[in-house]
Amino acid sequence: MRSLVVACFLALCMRVALAAELPGDSLYRLEIPLQTADGTTVALPALRGKPLLITLFYSQCSSVCPIVTAQLQNIDRHLTPIARHNLAILMVSLDSDRDSPQALESFRQQHHIDDPRWIVARASAADVRLLAAVLGVRYRELPDQSFNHSAVITLLDRDGAIKARAEGIRAADGAFLQKVQAIAAGAETSPRDRERARPR
Amino acid sequence: MRIILACLFVCLLLPGSSDCVAAVERSTIGPSDFVPVLAPAPGQQRVHVAAFLLDRTPVTNAQFLEFVRLHPQWRRDRIASLFADSEYLSHWSLPDALGEGALGQQPVTRVSWFAARAFCTAAGARLPSWHEWELAAAADETRTDARSSSEWREHILDWYARPAGQPLPIVGSGTANIYGIHDLHGLIWEWVEDFGSLMVSGDSRTQGDPDKLAFCGAGALSAQDRDNYPILMRIAYLSAQEARSTGRVLGFRCAADVAP
Repeated sequence: MRSLVVACFLALCMRVALAAELPGDSLYRLEIPLQTADGTTVALPALRGKPLLITLFYSQCSSVCPIVTAQLQNIDRHLTPIARHNLAILMVSLDSDRDSPQALESFRQQHHIDDPRWIVARASAADVRLLAAVLGVRYRELPDQSFNHSAVITLLDRDGAIKARAEGIRAADGAFLQKVQAIAAGAETSPRDRERARPR
Repeated sequence: MRIILACLFVCLLLPGSSDCVAAVERSTIGPSDFVPVLAPAPGQQRVHVAAFLLDRTPVTNAQFLEFVRLHPQWRRDRIASLFADSEYLSHWSLPDALGEGALGQQPVTRVSWFAARAFCTAAGARLPSWHEWELAAAADETRTDARSSSEWREHILDWYARPAGQPLPIVGSGTANIYGIHDLHGLIWEWVEDFGSLMVSGDSRTQGDPDKLAFCGAGALSAQDRDNYPILMRIAYLSAQEARSTGRVLGFRCAADVAP
């Protein structure tokens, strides 16, 4: 019992220490372990430092997800080399049960995703719900093992604050692409920089 | 056994609190093959709800205050804006005190989904799923499924018709249903774990609308019982919320799995 309390206390301290320098609206406040297609585990906050495009999908999805994947590739293609170098892309599966690292790896191959800036990952069902909640993604699993879900691409700055969202087929529009280009090229300062500049 | 341990844990966390027992009084519900108001999938009517435990009363201000004192990152002056909007616990006089505007035995409201979820996790429990909540809320004092009765509907609609702005009654003041559970209707709206699966707007968008590609997956999940206004109101309300939303009459209660 005592060791449990100590463990809880330590976990709490670590969370507080980590959270101290994050903006209030940063997604990196979520300590979600992501299991990637190559089988390694990376905590979501470890992605801090680069602007990020994030979307939820599942590998067996045959309707909107392939379009969203193609849109991500299309956005990436249209960035300047510097912006592209800065940007990371994260796809997290809604299908915690069936999307094993192996399934995610074959998804990568099928869609010719070979750039290491591009992470395809899974998380526990409870953590996916948390992630969907902060991204405003609504979803429901159907009995035929498909998912009904809103297709959303979200742009985070390097500190994890949401900078733009593109829903469904609108992700293809030029305004969103420009925003990604601007954030990824570092044209806009992050909230963290503004925090630092602010007198205390 | 696990539940007893969870109860003990809550009691240890809340030394001397008279709410300790109330915090963990739960009833067993189900298992049940249940016809929810929203079809679980196109062409499917029933959903299987495994046996689960549900709090007999919603979580109170006093209980939530204890939680906030033990987990100060959930105080209204410290919570990250990712997890709650600016009205979070705004009816309390201080970040760590209720004051005159909030009675200890009133249900806690103005809490986000994130905060509700964190409370239940700290209590060794979880939020109920929508289908669990809907199954429990289908009962009245004498029947497990009273939904076809006009008294059941009218009783709830009377509550909806009551003018807003009055102080909330204390928890447990409504009659218990057949499971011994109070206040599923007539007191507050309640968060559920999967409120994000209640895609009312998305369902309508899938009906040939040009915007349909905003949603992925098979077709419309339509209402099987269009006359069940009380439950459809709940679905509409919850589907309009974001996870960081708070509301003057939006609270929660916890659920738990039945120990194997």
